Amino acid sequence: MNTVQHKVKVICGALALLGLAACASEKTPATADVAVSRAAVANATSAGAADLAPEEMKSAREKMMRANQALAAKDYKLAQDLAAQAQADAQLAQSKANSAKATAAADELQQSIRVLREEAARANTQQQ
Amino acid sequence: MTPTKFMTKLRILPAAVAVAIVLSACSSAPITTSELDGARGDFVAAQSNPAVAASAPVEFKAAADALDRANAAAAQRESLADIDKLAYIAKQKIATAQEVTKQRQAEANVAQAGRQRDEVRLEARTAEADKARMAAERAKADADAARQQADTAAASARDEQAKAAALQQQLNDLQAKQTDRGLVITLNDVLFNVDKAELSAEGMRTAQKLADVLAQEPKSMVLIEGFTDSTGSSSHNLDLSQRRADAVRQALVGMGVPANKISTKGYGAAYPVAGNNDAASRQLNRRVEIVLSQNGAPITNRR
Repeated sequence: MNTVQHKVKVICGALALLGLAACASEKTPATADVAVSRAAVANATSAGAADLAPEEMKSAREKMMRANQALAAKDYKLAQDLAAQAQADAQLAQSKANSAKATAAADELQQSIRVLREEAARANTQQQ
Repeated sequence: MTPTKFMTKLRILPAAVAVAIVLSACSSAPITTSELDGARGDFVAAQSNPAVAASAPVEFKAAADALDRANAAAAQRESLADIDKLAYIAKQKIATAQEVTKQRQAEANVAQAGRQRDEVRLEARTAEADKARMAAERAKADADAARQQADTAAASARDEQAKAAALQQQLNDLQAKQTDRGLVITLNDVLFNVDKAELSAEGMRTAQKLADVLAQEPKSMVLIEGFTDSTGSSSHNLDLSQRRADAVRQALVGMGVPANKISTKGYGAAYPVAGNNDAASRQLNRRVEIVLSQNGAPITNRR
């Protein structure tokens, strides 16, 4: 569900970007892009990216802030560019966080299997 | 050539990159930025790992599209800043595709590890059960062996008892007497022919009983002592008593008793067991006494 919504958002963003290429001073698409990016940053944060991908998160937040500033200054082209970059950063941060968690889980499980094997081997050799 | 087709070509034939760049150079001079070069390099790396397209197809497609846009911007000679912006986004999306691939692989590992853990647990449990079964079998075998041993011991104890009882019976038949010097069996005069040193048939039967007892008591030593009554000369009596003792020894040796276990001694009329005044008493004095030492103890001589 989330990915479908996400895809729709991305497509909307892409369409907006194309629309913007047609008319340079479009206000709404930039606002929408910034909103989409804000959501991407929020998603990354809830995935734990602040701890697991601090560099990308810092970059995403900084660009979001500058995009908001550009929006306030009515520099919609800059706002849109920054929002797109912030979104890319946030998505990378989120995927990094997810892969780090999955890797940790896999490592932990492997470790527990190793311990289990050792215990089983020890129990066998002890009683024989 | 559309960007997508360009990318497809790139996937199939990396050499086409150079050709495409040369071709595009015919119409316009090639332009690129280090950011775009970096993104292209990252993309080639992602392409060379088949797991990326397989595990993160959506993210990989998005990355390819983003790179297409950056390449298109470069082909259309847009500003370097614009090319860089698109290349940056492409680079981040390629990295995202790589991270998603890592995540999927880790998740697959988790699933795999879960199965492995179950297997290890099963193996451990199987080994435990095997061990318990083997221990039970060992314990049963031990118990069986112990019982068998106990049975054997009981049987041999019974045998020993039976043997001891039989021996006791035989000794009773011989009218053996327990004394300080050992068991003493007295063969009286009637077992010898009158005034002779040969055992009568009855005497031989008694000697056979004695030989049977000695066969069961391999450690016993035997001292055979001969005695007479006081009639006749003492030299004759000494000689007769010695010969009678020797005759018994001879009979026993003939019945399988080792000769080295038997010693003899003639005492003549010494050590009477009754007075020599009447015939009955004199008959009691004419005798052979056989002393059996028990457990190999030496036999003390008469004082």
